Amino acid sequence: MTQPSKPVLIAIPAYNEAGTIAAVVGRVRASLPGYDLLVVNDGSGDATGQILETLNTTVATHLCNLGYGRAVQTAIMYALDCGYDALVTLDADGQHHPEQIAGLLREFDAGGWDVLIGSRYVARRGYQDAPLGRRIGMQLFSMLVRLVMGQRVFDTSSGMKVIRRTVFDPLTHWHFVDFHAEALVYLMRLGYRIGEFPVTVAARTQGTSMYTPLNYFKYPLKTSMLVLLGIIEAALTRRRHRS
Amino acid sequence: MTFQGIVVLNVIALALLLWVLNLVRHGRLYVGYGVIFVAAIIGTMLLLSVPWLQSGVTRVIGAVFPASALTLLALCFIVLMLLYILTQITIVSNRLSKLVQQLAIERARAEGTHVSLGSRAKRE
Repeated sequence: MTQPSKPVLIAIPAYNEAGTIAAVVGRVRASLPGYDLLVVNDGSGDATGQILETLNTTVATHLCNLGYGRAVQTAIMYALDCGYDALVTLDADGQHHPEQIAGLLREFDAGGWDVLIGSRYVARRGYQDAPLGRRIGMQLFSMLVRLVMGQRVFDTSSGMKVIRRTVFDPLTHWHFVDFHAEALVYLMRLGYRIGEFPVTVAARTQGTSMYTPLNYFKYPLKTSMLVLLGIIEAALTRRRHRS
Repeated sequence: MTFQGIVVLNVIALALLLWVLNLVRHGRLYVGYGVIFVAAIIGTMLLLSVPWLQSGVTRVIGAVFPASALTLLALCFIVLMLLYILTQITIVSNRLSKLVQQLAIERARAEGTHVSLGSRAKRE
């Protein structure tokens, strides 16, 4: 595949993914050879950093762990600084298939989306295979987005997204937990177009999920609060722009 | 507790709630701390506003008298101090995060090996 006319950056936020990072980088390079790649090493304590040094890829290394949201934000800031027109994010745990990015980008250009989510659930419209805790969370946030925006987003927590340059600025000027429902609602309220495109994911084989038992309680509370504050912030931003 | 006491404390709690939300909105209070404060304030307002709930909780924890005004003032002071300290921690934490992010970006840009000549030419 050739590099698209407008430059696109592929970004992989990684935290303690020594077991999978080399394979993920290799698959991205194999399936998207003309694209620029950035790995954000979010203060990994394992061998992720050393492995990345051997892969001859561009790495933005956080000196300490800042969390997934900040890692994605670093990628956005880098893409903004370097003049990229779009940013593709995917997880470093090997669950996403980089081979599906090309289709995602085609739909992104054809549909004129500002953010296009690689969605696990939009095709079958259900969460049957997810663990109970995540299933409840995803239902909750999908309903919350529908309630406040009137648009259903089936997979609010997907790490595979394409983000257009037009939304880089708003995404770096406000704070988010993980760029999930809170960021989507904020952007929708600002009038940006958010879409979903069906993708498949593999089961995690190595490493641990960022959702610990404590996070199952903390995450919904924090995200819900930021969804509500995001609505207020977006309204104030629109008013500032009008005046 | 008298009706006047309930109203005054609810007004204080409401002001505190709005202040906490505003601090979170401006990124001056980490959302994780904010959630705890919001839950505590809403719980307190609920306890204050529902007399049978308040007396029920008093009975359950083995207390005899409702909280004195002095105790409530002391609690308010502690909450304000906590908020102040957490706000300062959040501000320092945000600055540190920005620094770490900027450093990571500068170092990645200095490496600069990722931007292929072809990609640059197309952009120009």
